[in-house]
Amino acid sequence: MGLRIAVGIKWVPNNQAVRFDEKTGTLIREGVVSVVNPHDLDAVELALRLRDKYGGSVVAMSMSPPSATKGLEHVLGMGVDEAILISDRAFAGADTLATSYVISHALERLGDFDLALFGQETIDSSTAHIPAQVAGWLGLPYVYYVNDVEKLDEGQRSITVRRLLEDRAEWYELALPAVLGVAMKSQLPRPVRLSHKLRVRTENPIKTWSNEFLKLDPRCTGLRGSPTIVSKSTWTPEVPRRKQIIDGPPEEAARKLVDILFKEGILR
Amino acid sequence: MSLAEKRKAKRVNCATVCPDWGCRQPGEHEGIWVVGELEDGVISEPSLQMLTPARNVAQKLGTFVEGIVLGPEEAEAREAAEEMIRRGADRATVIVGEELADRIPAVLASAIASLADERRPDVILMSATMRGREVAPYIASLLRAGITADCTQFDVDEDSGDLFMIRPPFAAILLAYIKTPTRRPQIATARPNVFPMPPRDESREGPVEVKRATDYVRARPQMRLIRSEVLRKDEVPLEKAEYVVAGGKGIGTKEGFAALEALANALGGVVAGSRRAVDLGLVPHEKQVGQTGKSVRPKLYIAVGISGAAQHVIGIREAGTVVAINIDRDAPIFKSADYGIVADWHEVVPALLREIEARRRMGSGKGT
Repeated sequence: MGLRIAVGIKWVPNNQAVRFDEKTGTLIREGVVSVVNPHDLDAVELALRLRDKYGGSVVAMSMSPPSATKGLEHVLGMGVDEAILISDRAFAGADTLATSYVISHALERLGDFDLALFGQETIDSSTAHIPAQVAGWLGLPYVYYVNDVEKLDEGQRSITVRRLLEDRAEWYELALPAVLGVAMKSQLPRPVRLSHKLRVRTENPIKTWSNEFLKLDPRCTGLRGSPTIVSKSTWTPEVPRRKQIIDGPPEEAARKLVDILFKEGILR
Repeated sequence: MSLAEKRKAKRVNCATVCPDWGCRQPGEHEGIWVVGELEDGVISEPSLQMLTPARNVAQKLGTFVEGIVLGPEEAEAREAAEEMIRRGADRATVIVGEELADRIPAVLASAIASLADERRPDVILMSATMRGREVAPYIASLLRAGITADCTQFDVDEDSGDLFMIRPPFAAILLAYIKTPTRRPQIATARPNVFPMPPRDESREGPVEVKRATDYVRARPQMRLIRSEVLRKDEVPLEKAEYVVAGGKGIGTKEGFAALEALANALGGVVAGSRRAVDLGLVPHEKQVGQTGKSVRPKLYIAVGISGAAQHVIGIREAGTVVAINIDRDAPIFKSADYGIVADWHEVVPALLREIEARRRMGSGKGT
């Protein structure tokens, strides 16, 4: 038997590489490569470790445009067993509520899963909404910032996790199925192996679930199903700063700076 | 028509909204809620900070601010609610009961959501502390409401009375004005330290209503807290530090960060890092400043070897004085700094430490 683990991944522009056209205020998309959201790779790694220890299978799901196939191939290369692309024009432009609505229905269609894992947040929008909202739609227990799984009791149908908050560590036991948000940088994602990619490509190709398959009311998905809308955008107003460069050799510049900081009462 | 009248008159065509989600007419909702978070039984500073934008928005909309506190002990929750009133709330509601002791996110969220179903607030604001980030989106999914994370400003749309939830959407140099015109409540979070603490007014009074958790908790817990351990508290948390010395990729090594630590210690502050420094494993993630880390508001922020990507700079908008030390004269950080030194930090940081110690030996105030 073993565990059936679903892991959600997002295909995102690598925001370290994003630049703006200062004249038009638009994103320069040319040459911006997309990647699997790095924090999702922690979730994939945790899923694979659990599968390796307890047996079972890992299915990766991504609600994205078709280009995300590349991202699914990446995690298949890490050793994920199956991959599903949830993709339809009807899902486009979704905010987090409409996105989580579709993902939760896809998880229902997937059927008996024990765990749904997600990265803590994405590098493009960093809302951290999806894991909690999926749990909300499905009425499942959930917890964020999971660093480690201490115990998985298949007989009792429960999992014990440890998580870290600002000032404390907490251990929770959750009934299965459960939703976990995996803490960023908590795992060391394994490298991609070409042999995994090739095997999956022949044995178990990436499936695409469109709305023809999920049969959701288009009033509940995509832009139409999104309560939030971006009504306008502006440049971030710059915080007024003095921008004063202190010249001189390092020792002298340091002395001048310390003088200023004491004079202004910033240092005492 | 005044803004308050516009807001109350607002009706939408609910036939266009997902039928599974029901209709939540904007005009039927009233009041700005701030959810107060208890830490060890005491109201947390980040949740009190949320009263600052709440007051401002309430004034524009001509409505009231209500504090919502959940906790196992009635006396603690009441005290927290009264503190929220002293800091700007007009009234408060507390939900109390043993069920809330373990702070199971779905349990807290379901209690807030069912109170919201009963009372129909126009806006729910929460601080995006780690627990806040965990609970707020679940509330939104239960209420089938929109939610905006990590807002840095709030405003009101003068045409409709909708809340503008303003946040940097992507690379931090644009600000998106987000609103939820068709549904209520409007839910938003903001990071700790983005808004200042509202002043305390001992004379402010308001009603505090007490509710029982058993009547409001709808979620089956399906999980339990086994153990909780407080981590070392010997160091000032980054969010509360008055002096922050932050290092970037330019610091290069852990030994380099030890030099920053020495400077931070002399200042009575703490060390932090940019995302690059965290990626390189030089600083733990909880010490990261920036869009995917923390916002800080220290008296003095010294950025060492940090290039100053927009994502980093957004985290120091509220800092008092910013000093940048970078060998690259063209580094963008200098545009976001009050004082810049263009030099190798290996020379500048020890020199700063020596100068500060020398000044202190001389005695403060006697300097030139």
